[in-house]
Amino acid sequence: MLSRSAERLYWLARYLERTENIARLVSVHMNLLLDLPKGVEMGWRQLILINASKEEFYEKNNVANERNITRFLLADASYPGSLFSSLSAARENIRTSRELLPDEAWEQVNEMYLFAKNNLETVADRRHRVIFLNEILKGCQRFTGLLSGYMSHNHPYRFILLGRNIERADMTSRILDLASLLLSESRSDEMRQYETILWMNVLKALNALLMYRQQMRSRVKGDDVLNFLLLDTSLPRSVGCCIAEMSNCIGRLPNSDKLPLKLVELQTYVQAIDTRQTTQQQLRGILDGLQNKLGELHGQIADNWFLSAAGE
Amino acid sequence: MKSIWKNYKIESAYDELMYSEFQSRPVSHSLCQYLNSLRKEDIDKRKIAAELAIMEMGITFTVYSDEGNIDRAWPFDIIPRIIDAREWRIIEIGLKQRLTALNCFINDVYSEQAFLKEGKMPAEIINSSKNFRKECIGMKPRYNVWANICGTDLVRDKDGIMYVLEDNLRVPSGVSYMLENRVITKRVFPELFQGIDIQPIDDYPTHLHDMLSSIAPHQNGQVTCVVLTPGIYNSAYFEHAYLAQQMGAQLVEGKDLVVNDDDFVYMRTIEGLEKVDVIYRRIDDDFLDPEVFRKDSTLGVPGLMRAWKAGNVALANAPGAGVADDKVVYAYVPEMIRYYLNEEPILPNVPTYLCSNKDDLAYVLEHLAELVVKPANESGGYGMLVGPHATAKEIENFRQIIQKDPRNYIAQPTLAISTAPTLCKDRLEPRHIDLRPFILQGENTFVTAGGLTRVALRKGSLVVNSSQGGGSKDTWIINMEGS
Repeated sequence: MLSRSAERLYWLARYLERTENIARLVSVHMNLLLDLPKGVEMGWRQLILINASKEEFYEKNNVANERNITRFLLADASYPGSLFSSLSAARENIRTSRELLPDEAWEQVNEMYLFAKNNLETVADRRHRVIFLNEILKGCQRFTGLLSGYMSHNHPYRFILLGRNIERADMTSRILDLASLLLSESRSDEMRQYETILWMNVLKALNALLMYRQQMRSRVKGDDVLNFLLLDTSLPRSVGCCIAEMSNCIGRLPNSDKLPLKLVELQTYVQAIDTRQTTQQQLRGILDGLQNKLGELHGQIADNWFLSAAGE
Repeated sequence: MKSIWKNYKIESAYDELMYSEFQSRPVSHSLCQYLNSLRKEDIDKRKIAAELAIMEMGITFTVYSDEGNIDRAWPFDIIPRIIDAREWRIIEIGLKQRLTALNCFINDVYSEQAFLKEGKMPAEIINSSKNFRKECIGMKPRYNVWANICGTDLVRDKDGIMYVLEDNLRVPSGVSYMLENRVITKRVFPELFQGIDIQPIDDYPTHLHDMLSSIAPHQNGQVTCVVLTPGIYNSAYFEHAYLAQQMGAQLVEGKDLVVNDDDFVYMRTIEGLEKVDVIYRRIDDDFLDPEVFRKDSTLGVPGLMRAWKAGNVALANAPGAGVADDKVVYAYVPEMIRYYLNEEPILPNVPTYLCSNKDDLAYVLEHLAELVVKPANESGGYGMLVGPHATAKEIENFRQIIQKDPRNYIAQPTLAISTAPTLCKDRLEPRHIDLRPFILQGENTFVTAGGLTRVALRKGSLVVNSSQGGGSKDTWIINMEGS
């Protein structure tokens, strides 16, 4: 497999995962706001904080209201972190790696892109936004499904898994970051009342509510949710599970000598997190550290296999 | 009910499907019957379905413009063009004959030059050809075949005869559109494929792969074939990716390949360097190898010619094959067929005046208003003059250009190239078409069943190139026996 193709498939998967995650995040956030009473201090602003895109947002917008923020996160083609930019980048990557994937994979991404492009304006109002986000989520799921059903689980497939899981681990850590942010900011009793609802929405954002209930057999509590989403090894979107998946892929790819060590280090870091002993503030620091470590892992994957890093 | 055939006016050209507004040719009886059974709204629905499919399948071509490169949806007309299999059998033999002779010629040009020495063609034509590559002298590609993939343009004149307009021997494109057109037609008119015996075309990638494997330098073990593309900004990138995908071959760019000290070609993979045996290159000679051709080429692979000349890698088409893709050389193809094969040409050439020839030049300058003048080496329909459609000023302008560089120009009578019914706004209208079949030659020779029919979508226009307002149609070769 060409180094260049490996790189493109890896990024294809990252961008598609990002597309799906943004869609999920916005849609869950909308639901959460619908549940909270008027006057509770949480709003849309937090969404741009976890994506580390505050500055870029305020360059283009004066007010952090629902309309501006959803347009920025979903439809702004000039903001590289938006859903539409991610989807466009995914499409560009798959367009240049069509020879490795089943026909339907390209068509699926292309269709989704055309749908998004033709419906960007509709995200302004809530009702149409719900439809838009559902379509995107379904499209991403179809893509994942058809690859798992149609594609040999070969090296190209492993690079897709690798990209997907590193992006997924990153997003899960950002969503947990958001939750801690909300909790540390909102000290009011009124907000405390709604803590359970908040954590339920965090679980929903990662499609993990049902699995949480089955596994933990308890009511939804912050510590348990954090534990579950960081350490569980069978929930697809938990950080622990993403690391295990990557470990599995890397073990089967050629010339991966240096990488397993890096993964063990990452695993150890995650397992050492004791959610019962940390304050919200400390937790935010730990999650930041986790995101940095994922960044380092990405650098090593690129050094190891990709053309751009190989140098001439 | 308003008929979509209303006012279908066949002018002086031959129409492929119709004798007149009211009478279809035998090949198109079933199609016309079917179309007449549909309401106009139904036909429009199919047209929209086809456009949607093209968008979703992402069948595009790139247009260069000042605002950057734009990916345009492939313009497609849903009404197929039909040819009787009995006629096609003869055309097919003619195409094989022609490519065989052309390959004999190229091989001769790079070795004995007997054709020139015996005075069949002035040596000057080869010596002054941009596409004659001295670096290739003495090379012996496998089976002595230099042009492994050829796209031959055919047009039918008002006399009903198919003429060869040109032989594209460098990097002919369009075959992916031929294949996708069929996929779309099957989606849009599935009913038609039950009642009509249409020859399938989707085995082309298999034949391409077999041909490429057959020219590998070493026939032991597995052959690694790759498609070499200039990259995503090339107008035919879609096709490069499509063919690679259909063949299960790697699609590579120049920077993915490297020629090592051992003069073998390798690609950079996640497992390190992997040897490449056959390269289906979609890059022009000029850009292939900066060590030999253009020094500033970043698309090519330094050392590729070294590897090829050492016999360590096969290139399709072979470098230098373009020497026969020249409109002056074209004029001599009938003679090549007689000389190398000792046969009479089955497919006629369009009568051609060579401006390098004094008498011809005088005639051409005299009759510019009636002729089509083409540069010898351009493709894509650029830089040509269509006399009957040109202004006096354009004609004068061309007169100057030709006189400056007569070797580089040829002229042909303006053909009344055939038409076929094409879906226009509210009805069918005749539009001019051509046909590009694809011929593969390696160990064996293969011709596609039909080819890519291109259509000049603008009324009256004779220019079918997609870069200049052309579209395309599905092409059916149908078996009439027993019907």
